[in-house]
Amino acid sequence: MSLTFDPLLIAIVAPLALALAIALGLPKRWSVRLAYVAFAVPLLMALHVWYHFSDATQLGGYAFLTQYPTGLQALGISLKLGLNGISMPLFVLAGGVGFAAGLYALQSGAERLKLYLMLLLIMIGGLMGVFASVDIFYFYFFHELALIPTFIMVGIWGGRDRSYAAMKMTIYLTVGAMISLLGLIALYVKSGATSFDLIALRHHLAAHPLGETVQNNIFGLLMFGFGILVSLWPLHTWAPLGYGAAPSSAAMLHAGVLKKFGLYGLIQIAMPLLPAGLTHWAHPLAWLAVAGNVLVVGFITIAQRDLKQMIGYSSVMHMGYAFLGLATGSMLGVGGVVLLMVAHGFSVALLFLLATTVHHRTHTFTMDDMGGLAMKAPVLAAFFVAATFASIGLPGFANFWGELTIFVALWKFSPLITVLALAGVVISAIYGLRSAARIFFGQPATHFNEIAAQYPVKDLTWTEKAPALVLLVALLWVGFWPKSLSTAIDTALQPAAQTAARN
Amino acid sequence: MTPVQIAIAVLILPLVSAAVIALFLRRAGGLASVVSVLAAVGIAAGALTLTLGADRFVTSMEWLKLGDFSLSLGIKFDDLAALMLAIVGVVGLCVHVFSLGYMHDDGARARYFGGLSIFMFSMLGIVFADNLFMMFIYWELVGFSSWLLINHYMDRPSAAAASKKAFIVNRVGDFGFLLGIVWCYTRFGTTNLDAMAKLVEGGSTLTAAIPLLLFCGAMGKSAQIPLHVWLPDAMEGPTPVSALIHAATMVAAGIYMLCRIHFLMVPDALNVIMWVGTATALYAALCAITQSDIKKVLAYSTLSQLGYMVAAFGLGSLKITHEMGGMTHTMVITAGVGAAMFHLTTHAFFKALLFLGSGSVIHACHHEQDIFRMGGLGKKLPLTFATFTLGVAAIIGVPFLAGFFSKDAILYLAFANNRAVFVILAFTAVLTSFYMVRLWKLVFLGETRSENASHAHEGGLALTAPLALLAVLSVIGGYGWFYSAVLRGGVAKVIELVPEAHGSDHTVILVTSLVVLLLGAGAAFTLYRPASTDALAEKSPGLFGLLGALKVSFDRFYDYYVAKIQQRFAMVLNFIEQIFLAGVIIRGMAGVVGLVGLGMRALHVGNLNAYVYWFLLGVVALWAFATGTLTF
Repeated sequence: MSLTFDPLLIAIVAPLALALAIALGLPKRWSVRLAYVAFAVPLLMALHVWYHFSDATQLGGYAFLTQYPTGLQALGISLKLGLNGISMPLFVLAGGVGFAAGLYALQSGAERLKLYLMLLLIMIGGLMGVFASVDIFYFYFFHELALIPTFIMVGIWGGRDRSYAAMKMTIYLTVGAMISLLGLIALYVKSGATSFDLIALRHHLAAHPLGETVQNNIFGLLMFGFGILVSLWPLHTWAPLGYGAAPSSAAMLHAGVLKKFGLYGLIQIAMPLLPAGLTHWAHPLAWLAVAGNVLVVGFITIAQRDLKQMIGYSSVMHMGYAFLGLATGSMLGVGGVVLLMVAHGFSVALLFLLATTVHHRTHTFTMDDMGGLAMKAPVLAAFFVAATFASIGLPGFANFWGELTIFVALWKFSPLITVLALAGVVISAIYGLRSAARIFFGQPATHFNEIAAQYPVKDLTWTEKAPALVLLVALLWVGFWPKSLSTAIDTALQPAAQTAARN
Repeated sequence: MTPVQIAIAVLILPLVSAAVIALFLRRAGGLASVVSVLAAVGIAAGALTLTLGADRFVTSMEWLKLGDFSLSLGIKFDDLAALMLAIVGVVGLCVHVFSLGYMHDDGARARYFGGLSIFMFSMLGIVFADNLFMMFIYWELVGFSSWLLINHYMDRPSAAAASKKAFIVNRVGDFGFLLGIVWCYTRFGTTNLDAMAKLVEGGSTLTAAIPLLLFCGAMGKSAQIPLHVWLPDAMEGPTPVSALIHAATMVAAGIYMLCRIHFLMVPDALNVIMWVGTATALYAALCAITQSDIKKVLAYSTLSQLGYMVAAFGLGSLKITHEMGGMTHTMVITAGVGAAMFHLTTHAFFKALLFLGSGSVIHACHHEQDIFRMGGLGKKLPLTFATFTLGVAAIIGVPFLAGFFSKDAILYLAFANNRAVFVILAFTAVLTSFYMVRLWKLVFLGETRSENASHAHEGGLALTAPLALLAVLSVIGGYGWFYSAVLRGGVAKVIELVPEAHGSDHTVILVTSLVVLLLGAGAAFTLYRPASTDALAEKSPGLFGLLGALKVSFDRFYDYYVAKIQQRFAMVLNFIEQIFLAGVIIRGMAGVVGLVGLGMRALHVGNLNAYVYWFLLGVVALWAFATGTLTF
């Protein structure tokens, strides 16, 4: 391998470069053709690093480390790229969902396709950057880079209530990001470190831990700041609204990947750097998550009639499990969160994709107006059923491992909370199977009969199937062979790697 | 191939078959059915090789490791697993072959046979599982395959509803099951069956809570009161599926799981289990009397028999005395395991036979399922009639047939350990012979009472051969020599646990079971005439109505809960979410001022700055609230 081959940089730059070219006036024909390449490159790079992760040379727990000066060295900032066992699975997630969302956008025939592709490319570039950055500044920068196109995409290509949804999403997410930025800056200032380099920060704080009060306060900022971004109850209301309005590719990328930024920040930054803060906040966080995200939002999900809203709420609910795993602070719990983040990313992206394909056939998102679609589109039904069972944690799909490990870890944290959290397993079965039954089984509703008479229903086409297949294969792969990710996660979470990241 | 390799091959084979069907044979129903049946042949062959072979082994492989948590998938192949494996293999093969005929004209044959293969994979996983986590994984997977197959006729709203209900009710049971497993793991540091058994032997103290939570799983899968409601509805699935999943194997998995973890049991837990089983046995038998759908009668009968098995397990251990050469040995055997597994085995044979027989009837009558619209089928379907009659005779305990021996074992255990349970189970046996003879007479004797039934004729070899094989097993499955000679003692360690009555006890049990049989069968035979209406409903409408009300009471309660409590609760929360939460707290938790002063309209002007302002205030207030309640 030559020295110049940096898969992480390529994964970030390829989509951004094409986005720039499109902005500079690349003709549509070439934009579309090159977009296939630009969507595929991050995935290929992600698969490359996944495959080579175990035998790559590691420094401070990070593999594929490279550093590029960007003129901000005076502030202790540089573009430092690398992956540890926690970021690698998410890098793969970003590559996979990015590719699927890209493919889906290319066949969608959206209006102003060039602009749509450009924004999507920026989003993907940003996402790859978030998980590849070792430098906290760039970690944050890439998040903003990916976030802004989301708002624009919701505002322009969104469905019902798009301007209200876009505004609400903008406010919530911007505020969340600002609060977490505040926390990050406070962390930097209080630590007295001279660098935003996460490895150096860990090093520094392991030697000079922060005082307990400082830790508690900063962790609180990060928890609520990042919490808004991950839709922690009761700061979640942007999510179902935003996803309900967002165009499918944007919803796939945001719910699937970008939303994980907050959890990722908590695991990668807040947890190892502020251990006392986590202990302090663990119980409030766990109670918000179990009572709010899992139970209240779980019941709210049952009441949804709109397919996209339902998926949005179910995603908020599943984030509750992620917070619960985090609250345990144990290796098992946090490892489970990483598994769940990846699994949920693939499954929710698949569900949003399929929701749109369902809409193309039924011309509605209201589930009561559908029915009997499986008879006309059996392959679509099979995909949807698979995605539903994945998201409700059926073994054989990746989500199961995340939920199971979180539950096991949670029992040691608090049996009572475990009991409440497990009730969510029943709740998710109720709304998941109910929606599948309403959409696909039984007899078609009057509305759907009329629509089907006007526009004959076709089964999933290959251009729709291809991106769905990418996501489904990922879910099954991890579902059948969890070690393909868990070994890396396990190594990264070993106490030695968490605190003193010496080489 | 080594036995371990055979076992792994047996487990993987149906998964491969399902994958091949799903990927390549979606539109090729004929080929799909061949692939699936070949897989079933392979499984049956492998299963019998393993069971008849002498090797018993344990093997496992780590599948996930995070921190100090390690989950492995493994195979624990002992006599108990061997017995279950043989049942699943043989009954599975019968049902696959039967399906070739029964589902021949079905438009979605590929999906059906793919589903059967997935089911076989999941069920075999439960049989082999060497630890509770693995068992849970496959436990969920059989739930999924059951959902898939109940939902086979998915354009029927009733099928869609039944499949959903089955999965959700099972999830309720699994809620407890998983809690129990996680608790077990925390308690013992492992869920490996052998390792836990060693710890218990080593004097590890036990609580009733863990086994009872684990029992919740069995209550779901084996459909015990109050989680039994899904099983009668599950009859929406194709009849062979009912035979395989909802009679012979999956629903028996709960009992198998209990036998797997019998060392965790304490008297309190066993007591609860015994009473749940007894209640289910009685309740379901009462419900079966008023059913008019041939499959529903069998479904309630299955429930009742499952109750029998659970009660047998709950009856627990038995002290037996051996006299050998003047010396008296007293030993305690886990007779509950023996009796439950023995009955599970014979029940698998005769109930699969009965369901497949009913399938043959339904097939012949062009999917007529109402027994009052059948009649006279004995002459038209001679082989089905003969085998079905053997099945009926076996389940009602006619001497020298399989059910006679296994039911007597349970009755004897009850007689020895708990007289109240004995009386209830004996009364249940009266009811069993009553409703089975009713069914038999209405279907097969007299004159045909409908157009469809009058054209009935026997199906092909695919339909009749499985019936013949199962009929033979229903006859010989109760004898000791069947296990020692035919199965070559491969399951001896289970069979030696079966309690046997001696001396005066023997007479009591024998007399009881004969009286019970004659009473129930005689009453039904005299009461019911071949007619298109229910004789009991005419002669005693009050009793008939009462039994009907008993049957629907649970469904009424659950329907009420779902529609009036759960759904309304969800709607109310949703309402609060939409109005109160989105509208007030976040846009101004500190802004009650907003309500009073500016009024709601001001909040909705869409001014971005105002929103940010209110929002920030809300967050700050929330944070202050959270931190204020804690020492900082």
